[in-house]
Amino acid sequence: MNRDSNLPLTETVYYILLALIEPAHGYLIMQKIEMLSEGQVRMAAGTLYGALDNLLKAKLIKPTESEDKRRKTYIITEKGTELLRADHDRMVHMVNITNDCMKGGES
Amino acid sequence: MIKYKFFLDLTKEENWLREMSTKGHGFQNKKIGYQFEQNDTSESVYRIDYQTFKHREDYLDYIALFEDSGWIHIAGTKSSGKQYFKKDETNEAFKEEYDIFSDGKSKATRYKKMMYYFGSNFLFLISLTIVFFDESNLVKSLNPKSLYLTPGLWQSNGLSFWFSFLFETPFALARGFLWYLFPVSAIICVYYYIKSRLLWKAS
Repeated sequence: MNRDSNLPLTETVYYILLALIEPAHGYLIMQKIEMLSEGQVRMAAGTLYGALDNLLKAKLIKPTESEDKRRKTYIITEKGTELLRADHDRMVHMVNITNDCMKGGES
Repeated sequence: MIKYKFFLDLTKEENWLREMSTKGHGFQNKKIGYQFEQNDTSESVYRIDYQTFKHREDYLDYIALFEDSGWIHIAGTKSSGKQYFKKDETNEAFKEEYDIFSDGKSKATRYKKMMYYFGSNFLFLISLTIVFFDESNLVKSLNPKSLYLTPGLWQSNGLSFWFSFLFETPFALARGFLWYLFPVSAIICVYYYIKSRLLWKAS
């Protein structure tokens, strides 16, 4: 098994990548994350800025064109999409085996 | 009102600004000292980030993100490192524990960046120390008379002596002692590097 060393993603990174399937600027990302997580995950400005910086360096997201002159807009890269998908599959597997094992214990 | 203070511990600095605010001194700006406005009735919470920027667009985008989320940028420049933000008590989302960081790890990276800053300054200063090292200079600074180059200075007297002597003194001091500024500043950088490392470990 040669699994990507970036896996598993942290909850915040997962949500940022998910929010950037469509282009968004910083504050919009914060709002999207809060919405997607149903208020469970709230990122503060400083933390989000640092996380975006790291994701840009890792080439998981990239800047994209926008009308807003002051705010930078980002979008997920191909590498980011692959990683998001891989982490999704990892979690689906975990959910499935957990369900199987729990069922086994009940009967 | 201007106050002069130096902080490495950002939490202490934030608390001090908060304390000043409760006393009615609203933090306005920071140049060399902290500028306060007297009789400021709005109580504010202050938070400090450590960030430098290569491009102006990056800096403006950074400030826009904070201001979108209710933090007013009050002091700091593109390359100052420390960035000061405030939130007023009148703000709806105001809470004493409100922060610009939502986890401890990202909050601690401030000290990591400070370590990097002091570390690279140390390397720069230590290379200046080595490049400008001159053995004869060390001997000369132990014998201050040799630092004066005016011919016949020590044989002259009266007004002409004092005139030449006082005129040359700044140059003599620079010749003899300027070099010492490099190792001394390098040592200060090491000290600050270690202190910010301890703060990083503790956070």
